[in-house]
Amino acid sequence: MDLIAKERDRLLQRTARVFGLSFTVVSLVCLLIPGAADPVAVLLCLPLYLLLGFCQYRIGSSRSLLWVLAILALGVAITGVITVAGAGPAQAGISAVTQLGGASLASTAIVLTTDLPRRILLAAGFLGVAGSTTFLLYPEQAPARTIALMVLGWTLSAIVGFWISAGVPQAARRIASIGRAHRAERQASETEAQRRQGARLLHDTVLATLTLLAHSGVGVAPAALRQQAADDARLLRQLRLGATPTPQASGVYNLEVVEETVLGTTLESVKQRFGRMGLEVSWHGTGQVLLPSDVLDAFLLALAECLENVRRHSGVTEAHVTITDDETMVRAMITDSGVGFTLDDVDSARLGFKESVVARLKEVGGKARLFSAPGSGTTVVLEVPR
Amino acid sequence: MSYSAPEENTLGVILGRGRRRESDATRRVIREATPRRASLGTGFIAIGAAVVFGLRAIYGLVWFVGLLPTYPNPVPAAFAWVVLIAVVAAVFITSRVIGDQLPDWMFAIFLVGLAAAVALDLWAIWPLHDIGRNTTAAVTAGMALVVVITLRKTADILVSVGVLGAVLAAAMVLNTNADIDDVAPQITTLAFAVLPAVIGVVIVRGFRRLVQVELDRVLVQSTVSAPRFAVGMMASEELARLDLAAEELLDSVATGRTKLPLSPKTASVAASLATELRLHLIEGRRETWLYHAITESDMLGKSVTLTDKASLAGLLDPQQRDGLLSAAWLLVSDTAKPSETRSVAIAVGPAAASAEVHGNRKITVPVVITTTGVARNRVDPATWDAIRKVGQYSDSTQNSSLRVDIHCLVDNPADN
Repeated sequence: MDLIAKERDRLLQRTARVFGLSFTVVSLVCLLIPGAADPVAVLLCLPLYLLLGFCQYRIGSSRSLLWVLAILALGVAITGVITVAGAGPAQAGISAVTQLGGASLASTAIVLTTDLPRRILLAAGFLGVAGSTTFLLYPEQAPARTIALMVLGWTLSAIVGFWISAGVPQAARRIASIGRAHRAERQASETEAQRRQGARLLHDTVLATLTLLAHSGVGVAPAALRQQAADDARLLRQLRLGATPTPQASGVYNLEVVEETVLGTTLESVKQRFGRMGLEVSWHGTGQVLLPSDVLDAFLLALAECLENVRRHSGVTEAHVTITDDETMVRAMITDSGVGFTLDDVDSARLGFKESVVARLKEVGGKARLFSAPGSGTTVVLEVPR
Repeated sequence: MSYSAPEENTLGVILGRGRRRESDATRRVIREATPRRASLGTGFIAIGAAVVFGLRAIYGLVWFVGLLPTYPNPVPAAFAWVVLIAVVAAVFITSRVIGDQLPDWMFAIFLVGLAAAVALDLWAIWPLHDIGRNTTAAVTAGMALVVVITLRKTADILVSVGVLGAVLAAAMVLNTNADIDDVAPQITTLAFAVLPAVIGVVIVRGFRRLVQVELDRVLVQSTVSAPRFAVGMMASEELARLDLAAEELLDSVATGRTKLPLSPKTASVAASLATELRLHLIEGRRETWLYHAITESDMLGKSVTLTDKASLAGLLDPQQRDGLLSAAWLLVSDTAKPSETRSVAIAVGPAAASAEVHGNRKITVPVVITTTGVARNRVDPATWDAIRKVGQYSDSTQNSSLRVDIHCLVDNPADN
């Protein structure tokens, strides 16, 4: 079944429960006024009222028509007992009966509106209750008055049911159109996030600059840092305005959109960038390696992160990078002769190693290994597939 | 452009003076889609309420005409009806015209009008010493509150109808003779004055809840067509915000507005920006549609936990996803009592051996749904249809609650 139809039925049932129970209580209160009806009849009615209340409570959670039938039967039975027993009901007894037939039992109309069999039952229920109540009250009260009250109660109740049934699909249609808009928004959000995440090299330079700033820019010439910040701010502005920036002028990375990029030229720009910040990087080994661009991105980021760690933590101003390659892998070995550290002592997350190096290399099928000991420098080996 | 510290970071940590992040997607969308309270179907309900009031008013008027000969002075009672109908019609029409809303001042006028109608009616029937049998406009005034029920807060309606009930009850006690035969008409009159508005409140609250739940479901449903790994709805917004914050910081450094070396406070902002940006760039695409569906939904977020270490849920095709989502939905939402606490845990994977189906190699992803507080025989039949869409299943009972094991066949991602 349609989920919203379920929700609709639940709403109708709960409404019928509240409607029915509240008027059952009113009817019972009227009946309990002294002299309302024959005392034996009142006593007989009490358990019937309890049962009626239970059925009306159950109708709030069950869709079964049996509860509806039970409610109608119990209601007619109560009406019969009150009106027939003894010398007939007083004013309070009449009120109890009309409240019962015109409101408490009429509440079932709310759940009898959704399909044809139920509507037939609604008509039958109305005719049965209104007919029997009018007939049984005939000696006490003019039929026109009883009938008017019955018609009003059942009509209002049925309108409530029909109106909710009609209102739910309307709301559902609007919700569905909001859902469609939301799906489009989700796709747009996805595309936009992809575009921004795709501008990885840009973010890498931004991250590098932010990391410098996080250390208050100590150890870097203010003019150089300001220049770098200006470049990065410009790139971010371009990204924000919808362009995919290709920062040729910043000279930090090569952002050309090509399937394969030569490693050498980009390595040279990394070297220049660290040179500006006071770390001399010496390259050894293969200069010209072709890599798919996503692999190159990850490789360069990892390399730059390692060099950044050397710059910050090693205490020396020189690092060696050796690039080797074979049929399947490209390796970079980053060595420094700095203070080193005990691997167990330093939380690798603090160095950004796990996130920035390991995670990104893993994404392209590569890996990283870290060797270090206090006093004997640090060596990092990065590997990516060709 | 000058740099100002963000109020909170995108990992949900409030940095101070900030408002709470609007993580509740449903509420956000409702607010955007429906700037006014009464929208999304309640406008239609309001018309229904007006129809109901109209019928009740006709019934009351017929009574009034019938009682006319007994009134010592029918003029105030007639005026009561005129005031009542005028004020209801005016409020109904203006609220429709200005777009399903009722400002405070207009509601105040409405209440004054109702009070006037009640006062005039009581004045007219006071000499008869039987308010229950003779009042017409005053009872209908209680029903009139139904007309504005979708336009005002529940509390407003309940307080108004409570005051009306109290006034009528007090008038009855003061005015009506202490004859036992007269008690029942007083009670029924009071019930007819007060109960319709109370029932109306129940209906409107239920309707609003229905809309809320359905909206939540529809919004989450859009994850069904998401790619295998996706960013959540907020991800691009968060990235954009981070990028903007970084841009502003870098810009203010570049132009020299922020002096180098940086103050420790600005430096720590730069550090946290870098951390957040890094996490969003690297970790952002690890989550599947199911994770996003559960975290974005009010309903599911509260009671569903997901274990999917290998992100295998991303492999499910849209129909299987729909089934799994509907099943979780039905298991969580289908509570007979609101107080009942149900929880559902969905465990996906690890992937099992592959199988040959119609010439395609498929892998089996076991999906295990364990629940608490869900009796096997109380599960909605629609749940089984939904689960069947995911794959072959077997159900059992664990710790007196339902457990479903589903063998879900998916395309091997290595073949694609």
